[in-house]
Amino acid sequence: MNVRAHLSMLFHLDKCIGCHTCSVACKNLWTDRKGAEYMWWNNVETRPGVGYPTQWENQEHYRGGWEISAADGRSSKKPPLQLKLHGRAQGLAKLFFNPDLPTLDDYYEPFTFRYRDLFNAPQGKTQPTARPISMITGQPMEIKSGPNWDDDLGGSALYARNDMALEGVSDTVRRQMEELERVVFNYLPRICNHCLNPACVAACPSAAIYKRAEDGVVLVNEDKCRGWRMCVAACPYKKVYYNWNTGKSEKCILCFPRLESGQAPACAHSCVGRIRYMGVLLYDADQILSLASAPLPELIQRQRAAILNPFDPQVLAAARENGIPENWLHSAQQSPVYRFVKEWQLALPLHAEYRTAAMMFYIPPLSPVVSVVEEELFKLNIGADVIDFEMFEQLDLARLPIRYLANLFTAGDERALESVLRRLLAVRIYKRSQSVDGAPSQRALDILQKTGLTQAVCESIYQLTTQPSLNERFVIPPYHRELAIEALNDPLSHKGEAGFGSLRPPKRGE
Amino acid sequence: MINPFYEPIAEVIRMRFLRQLSLALLLAGILLTASALIVSASDVTQAASTGEQIFKSKCTACHTIGGGKLVGPDLKDVPQRRSAQWLTDFITDPQKMISAGDPDAAQLLKDFNGVMMPTLGLSTAEVEAVLSYLQNPAASAGAGAPVVMGDPQRGEKLFRGAISLANGGAACNACHTVAGVGFLGGGALGPDLTKVLTRYGGAAGMAAALSTLPFPTMQGIFAARPLSPAEQADLLAFFAQADASGQTSFPLTIWLLLAVGIAGASGLFGLMYRYWPKQSESLSEKLRRTETV
Repeated sequence: MNVRAHLSMLFHLDKCIGCHTCSVACKNLWTDRKGAEYMWWNNVETRPGVGYPTQWENQEHYRGGWEISAADGRSSKKPPLQLKLHGRAQGLAKLFFNPDLPTLDDYYEPFTFRYRDLFNAPQGKTQPTARPISMITGQPMEIKSGPNWDDDLGGSALYARNDMALEGVSDTVRRQMEELERVVFNYLPRICNHCLNPACVAACPSAAIYKRAEDGVVLVNEDKCRGWRMCVAACPYKKVYYNWNTGKSEKCILCFPRLESGQAPACAHSCVGRIRYMGVLLYDADQILSLASAPLPELIQRQRAAILNPFDPQVLAAARENGIPENWLHSAQQSPVYRFVKEWQLALPLHAEYRTAAMMFYIPPLSPVVSVVEEELFKLNIGADVIDFEMFEQLDLARLPIRYLANLFTAGDERALESVLRRLLAVRIYKRSQSVDGAPSQRALDILQKTGLTQAVCESIYQLTTQPSLNERFVIPPYHRELAIEALNDPLSHKGEAGFGSLRPPKRGE
Repeated sequence: MINPFYEPIAEVIRMRFLRQLSLALLLAGILLTASALIVSASDVTQAASTGEQIFKSKCTACHTIGGGKLVGPDLKDVPQRRSAQWLTDFITDPQKMISAGDPDAAQLLKDFNGVMMPTLGLSTAEVEAVLSYLQNPAASAGAGAPVVMGDPQRGEKLFRGAISLANGGAACNACHTVAGVGFLGGGALGPDLTKVLTRYGGAAGMAAALSTLPFPTMQGIFAARPLSPAEQADLLAFFAQADASGQTSFPLTIWLLLAVGIAGASGLFGLMYRYWPKQSESLSEKLRRTETV
């Protein structure tokens, strides 16, 4: 057992209101620089939709993530797990030109407006307008798309219909999703997943990307980056970006300077719906290869198994042996992420089938409560005989198709997703019954029984979901940078040398 | 005491330092060896100072004194036939004489199958030494040694470089071409040697040329690495065979090279256009192009 610590974020999608405050907080803090205009280290997508960059989930096009080699026994020379992007020889051939990169059109051409025109236009019969100006060329341009162009199903016939996660959803259901009374969408905030098995790290020819030892944050060393951009292509989530001004790649840094000073990342801190949780997970690094190369149906289960119980004395002993500080272990025991992911098994990684073992977790969204289900139509007149309007028993009729959510969160395993939704619904039904009826009804208790939840667990889930305090949502351990410095440098001389800024600033551009 | 959690990082840094150190040592070793080799290679000396020595080393390949004509004319009594000034000028730079339109020089070129005498690069003093030797030569200097013909097959191998030259000279086809030898012929630095035997007036002339290789470009290499007698005989036999075969080598002209180059390049670019991976069309452009709201 090789125990390490990881700071993970958790997104409770039922609480996300799609306000983009997280994106703007991140933008203002990190990517409002020249060359970074088009980057959104944090973005919020409306799903169904194509997302940002367009159809980033289309790995036949972008070739991100990992794949396991066919188990035919003969090709024993091949490693069990390979980048989908390319092998070594192909990587060399494509070093100077990689056709699998997303283009600027796939993101969007960043723009601003010439506001001066509003004030300086000569007097005329018509109102002056501010023309859109490209932030790259500085020339007037025609806006074709933006980072959330299909927000709230805008242009859904073009974008929502081409959501990659709708694969396997029947045409009837697809049509129903567009009908006026059944239309449905949810929001999906995305940051870098700080994967356990990051494809960007594996693809970098300069070995400039690394996963930080103490908290698992995946970082690009800007001094070593040579701008090959293999990381951009290899990341299946398209969360590494190329800065055209510095000629180097950049990505979400999980706001590590904030973490090191005890604050939650800016996106999490600014979240209006309070959907985000931060906490420490202990994991077994020895299991990474086997969990990433596991058969498809076992992926999530294996990843969960690699996340260790911070109360287990054996785990704690192994962690201490690895030098994980005591207050990190304490923090891991308080971690809200641990509770949702491992203890209650409600949170899932996004697209486990990419085999990167993403360490940011999502609680899948429930469908809206409906009035009545009758002959597959929804009516407003509630009859006493029809009470399953939360559709605990009829998940296949829920507005968000199970297949669709399973494609996003459980690598297509509908049963695994249904079991998560049922447990979430059970909590909802139990608490609703408790507050409406005064005490939980027999039906609510039956449902709890079916899902295997106890009333106490139900209460804890409810508490942590709806009424957590700031310190319950963000359990950030004190950092020990001195330990990391000590390994590389004499702490006293480091103190004299360290400071603000870069010793070798990039020369490209201005 | 380093925290065990960070031990691997420190280890990596130590390894990296060692690797850099060993690389630097290797590089230094290569540089030292290379410089030693360069110094020994420049150690080529020629020791012909007197007129006789110069004549024997540089002229006897093509000329005799009273032994009949070889590649060039017999030089017996030449000081009586030509003026001293003419001789000095011609020995110093025969090419200049011909291009200046000297009638005697032009006639000589015509008489000797268009084989121009190489510019030997002799200093004024050396030219004078040769001239004074010609005034009073030793009897029958350079009287043709008996011509020995070797094995033409072996000669061809020597020409191609399949067998290395004993003294370490470069293979002939590095600079010369003989029709039908080698997939793409030989080099184009030196003249085509297919008909060299005819040009040099038969086996005797060629044998003399092979024995000293008096051409200035070749002297740079072969002065210190002469052909062995066996090699000379084999090569001579090979050249005789090539001359008799009646093959002619394909004339390499600038137009041919240009045409082949253009055809090759367009073929290559055509293949690349068809098969080289292109930047795939942006998915968003594709969506907007193929679907309408």
